[in-house]
Amino acid sequence: MKQIATFIVNEKRYELAIEPHMLLVEVLRDELGLTGTKQSCGIGNCGACTVLIDGKPVLSCLTLALTVEGKHITTIEALAQGTALHPIQKAFVEHGAIQCGFCTPGMILSAKALLDKNLNPTDREVKYALSGNLCRCTGYVKIIDAVLAAAEAMSKEANT
Amino acid sequence: MSQRLSVVGKRIIQPDAAAKATGAALYASDIMVPGTLIGKVVRSPYPHARITRIDKSKAENLSGVEAIITPEDTAQWQKFDRGMKDLPMIAGGYTVPPDEGVLNERARHFGDAIAAVAAINEHIAEEALELIEVEYEELPFIIDPEEAMKPGAPQISGFAKGNIGKHMSYAFPAGDVQKAFKEAECIVEGTFSTPKQEHCTAETAAAVARLDVNGRLTVWSQCQLPHLARREIAHIFNMPVHRVKIITPFIGGSFGQRGALCAEPICVALALKTGRPVKLVYSREENFIALESRTGFQYTLRMGFQKDGTLTAMDTYMLGRLGGYMGCGPMASAIGMIFGLGHYRCPNRSGEADMVMTNTPMSGAFRGFGNPAIMWGIEQLVDEAAEKLGMDPIEIRLKNIKKAGEIANMGLRLESTYLEECIKRGAEAIGWKEKWGKTKKGTIRRGVGVATMTHCSGAAPLYLDHSNAFIKLNEDGTADLVVHPAPVGQHIWGALSQIAAEELGIHAEDINIVTGDTDVTLFEYGSDASRSTYSVGNATLIAALQAKEQLLERAAGMLGVSAQELEINDRQIFSSTEPKKRISMADVCYDAIYNFKGECLNISGKCSWESKWNSPPTGAFFAEVEVNIETGRVRVIRFVTAMDCGKAINPMAVEGQLEGGIQQGIGYGLTEDYVINKDTGVVETDNYDSYKMPGMMDMPETQVIIIDEPDPKGPFGAKGVGEPGMVGVAPAIANAVYDAVKVRIRDLPITPEKLLNALELARN
Amino acid sequence: MKRFEYLAPKMVEEALKMLSDCGHGGAVLAGGTDLLIAMKRREVNPHYVVNIKSIPDLDYIQYHQEAGLRIGAITNHSAIGDSPVIRDKFDLLATACNKIGTPQVRNMGTIGGNICKAGPSQDTPPALLVLDARVKLVSLSGKRIVPIDEFFVGPFKTVLQGAELLTEIQIPNPPPVSAGCYKWATKTVAVDETLVGVAVLITLDSADGVCTDIKIALGSVAPTPMRARKAEEVLRGKRIDDRLIKQAAQVAAGETRPRSRADYRRRISRLLVSEAIAETWKKIR
Repeated sequence: MKQIATFIVNEKRYELAIEPHMLLVEVLRDELGLTGTKQSCGIGNCGACTVLIDGKPVLSCLTLALTVEGKHITTIEALAQGTALHPIQKAFVEHGAIQCGFCTPGMILSAKALLDKNLNPTDREVKYALSGNLCRCTGYVKIIDAVLAAAEAMSKEANT
Repeated sequence: MSQRLSVVGKRIIQPDAAAKATGAALYASDIMVPGTLIGKVVRSPYPHARITRIDKSKAENLSGVEAIITPEDTAQWQKFDRGMKDLPMIAGGYTVPPDEGVLNERARHFGDAIAAVAAINEHIAEEALELIEVEYEELPFIIDPEEAMKPGAPQISGFAKGNIGKHMSYAFPAGDVQKAFKEAECIVEGTFSTPKQEHCTAETAAAVARLDVNGRLTVWSQCQLPHLARREIAHIFNMPVHRVKIITPFIGGSFGQRGALCAEPICVALALKTGRPVKLVYSREENFIALESRTGFQYTLRMGFQKDGTLTAMDTYMLGRLGGYMGCGPMASAIGMIFGLGHYRCPNRSGEADMVMTNTPMSGAFRGFGNPAIMWGIEQLVDEAAEKLGMDPIEIRLKNIKKAGEIANMGLRLESTYLEECIKRGAEAIGWKEKWGKTKKGTIRRGVGVATMTHCSGAAPLYLDHSNAFIKLNEDGTADLVVHPAPVGQHIWGALSQIAAEELGIHAEDINIVTGDTDVTLFEYGSDASRSTYSVGNATLIAALQAKEQLLERAAGMLGVSAQELEINDRQIFSSTEPKKRISMADVCYDAIYNFKGECLNISGKCSWESKWNSPPTGAFFAEVEVNIETGRVRVIRFVTAMDCGKAINPMAVEGQLEGGIQQGIGYGLTEDYVINKDTGVVETDNYDSYKMPGMMDMPETQVIIIDEPDPKGPFGAKGVGEPGMVGVAPAIANAVYDAVKVRIRDLPITPEKLLNALELARN
Repeated sequence: MKRFEYLAPKMVEEALKMLSDCGHGGAVLAGGTDLLIAMKRREVNPHYVVNIKSIPDLDYIQYHQEAGLRIGAITNHSAIGDSPVIRDKFDLLATACNKIGTPQVRNMGTIGGNICKAGPSQDTPPALLVLDARVKLVSLSGKRIVPIDEFFVGPFKTVLQGAELLTEIQIPNPPPVSAGCYKWATKTVAVDETLVGVAVLITLDSADGVCTDIKIALGSVAPTPMRARKAEEVLRGKRIDDRLIKQAAQVAAGETRPRSRADYRRRISRLLVSEAIAETWKKIR
């Protein structure tokens, strides 16, 4: 039976008719048309469905939508301001960290959660923070480069 | 041949990168068409079974279910080969008989498609699946290829006598192998096995199909070979080709798996049955059981050398496991033998392969397509020979690698090779001299290993290497390039932009890639066999050249000079003898379009390209491993890939291919094991909790070296590089393990238990 | 997933009533990282899903000088792994929690959920075993405190009754001169299910003295997480040295009862127990 629930997605409020079995990833993609969040394995192993809830990375494919009513959900669509890319997105683009791009939204959000807390991560800290995001195309090398470059850029901006 | 290049060779940003970074890029699973129904598939829980009864009444009565189709419904359509090898895409008349129906009355493997549902949402479709009652008559089944070939084994296909789907002979036999082995001074041989490896594309198989009012069918398809998909789908559903339109969205990874039809046939069937658009997205489990994965082999290999390390003889017999339907699998052996036996200089070569059908999910093409499997054995035997002969593994390879001008693996002239430089630079980068062949002590032992390989740029002369490019110049001097390779993440749009822009003397961002719609694009074989940059690139280059000729002719008229003396650079056309005589691209193009003097022209160029050459890329792979002799764990701590792929159109993109190949190669070598239960035929590794590919924490320190010397036949000297990056990884690891602990594992993947057993055996 | 009714109690009492009413048709939802997979795979098909993550009273980490540590059942693994007091005084628990899953899973998964799943390869139980943890179980008829080593009955089986909730984990202060660690080996890749997990807690009578107590617990090598009591006997009351460590490790491996990859698990158990004891001993000295 559907019930009306309020979702705060990318700082906007939505009232949606939701059935209990609906997953957060389905609500985002099918009800709100925010297809940036992807489904890939369905069992929380690959991280492609990663969104931020109250700033923390979680798996939207293992989250019942009703359980996050009223929480602040951030999807990849929140990051760019019009055509101006977020520094992390810019770094991914400039460093060739994107090939097929399917793991990219989840990867960027995990990186954002890291850099929002720590603008000076080590190589190892970046790998650890992104260890729940799988990629089959890039071998991860340029993704790590991009996150470190974004950290530097964001750090500089924070200091100016 | 040195080139002064303004655009080619630059690390440009990909035109589609921002869309992917913002989540705006649309993949097949993202496509939303009004009124779309969601499809789901009923799959056989048995490896071999006849469907005796399907009762869809309960499911049909479920509110929200629009249609249910069964093999009875799909019998009206043509049988096909999902690898599309029932089309004449391979030279010499090789085809595969069409053996698979859209739905099949006899399930030939665990997960074979039996029935399908279209409903108004996914949840109802799932519920409907549960309500469809299917009765199966279980049939005797075969998992092992050797058992499948025995007399009395259950026959899987009417086309495969004794379950042998195809017998393949090595396409370029040479010399007298028997004699050569008799005379060889050092013989090495072994039996090797390689598993199925699942592609693990980030995006699962997905398709959207919509039947339009005028009877046209639009299919959003992930197929790497869009124009072939168009024809195959038209053929299956009894339509003329022009009634089918394939739209290629962004594709979330392929590595060869989308070289076959995946979700399209069932999706189209549901759309035709309901008259409504249907979206069919496979689950990760369905990706593992319903699609082709890498063809697994068991093979014997024999190599003969002279005392001085010269390779004189090679022979192999390969047994490949196909699966319940033929698909792309058989060619894996042909390609494997061609690339493996044709890599080193060897005057006496022979090889045979039996590709056997079994009641298992299908086998097909995965990055390297048979080359990774065969080089696994070849590169280990080369090391064994080196040891027997007291040679360094580098030394023995340098002795036998081919030089430019010799006959390459595909029987054509080896246009260029810098494999020697790859080997030398890679060896230096890994620290070969300091690390190889040292006495190892202690619980943790390090070792280094090398493997080399040759691959292809496109599959001429074996496959139909036919590409088309059309370019038109707009009134402001920008250009639209009409091409249709498949955007699977290989950065092809950027590369083609660079090639066209370089030829036309404009900037990469001045090129708009018009693609992804078979109504608009000319025939394109597709992205396969590492051919997009090489073949579509050459087509693009020549189309641009044609457009340039028209452009310069017009400019010559406008400037009052001869076309021969004109050059273009940075959007400016000028006389090389009198540089002051110049005009902008934009002015010339504008004049051509807005022309009232009876000289209207949309400056353009077109090229139908069929490769007459094949410029094989070559590469050397170096692994440094750390082996714990108590736990049996192998950790790759450093990896260096040195690749000769001609001129790198975009070095950043080339690096990405090589780095990605290392991840897949480490998976192939150490962590990925596709397991089928021998007693039940059930696939036990059907998601990432049971099937493990390397994650961020499993990657070594990597270094990629691009030799960057141009090939005479590639566009601006480029060669293919989509596949080679994974080919030499696993054997380099195996050889490094041997250097560390003096045991060989011949059976992929290398696991701790296998290593400990080998160490135990070596001690006794 | 099959259809179900979703219930979101705000208090423990409310949750208990709901669970009691639901009977066998109810499932407790905490982090969701286990339950939702089971529901997607139709391994469990509850009619009611009771979300206890909506009970704010169950999410806390409290430390008392006398009583020790109290952790609310729905506290996330990441909160435990990052907690300064746990990293300071109960660091092997932080280590175990930081090993679980991936960063995303740690943000969602709860310690209560981890314990109640009672899978043979969970990471927190061995740590909790050596820390002498106890769990508070509440039902409509009252509450009971159960020592953790009595909580696990078999694979995926605990002493938890149908309408009973695990609400708190209680961990006493470790003895004054003690240290512990948690070590593990994964099945295949680095971020992966635990193949063998070993937790050790050593107490000395003074900084360089005799081992007055040692607790060794292993996960993923038996139907339930287990204490290697015979191995403990090898070291208890003795002065630790390399020979005894080796012996204890051997004995511990012999106590395991692994089902799959048995030989390999025994070998790894031996190696990890040895490593864990050596590392812990070094920590204390």
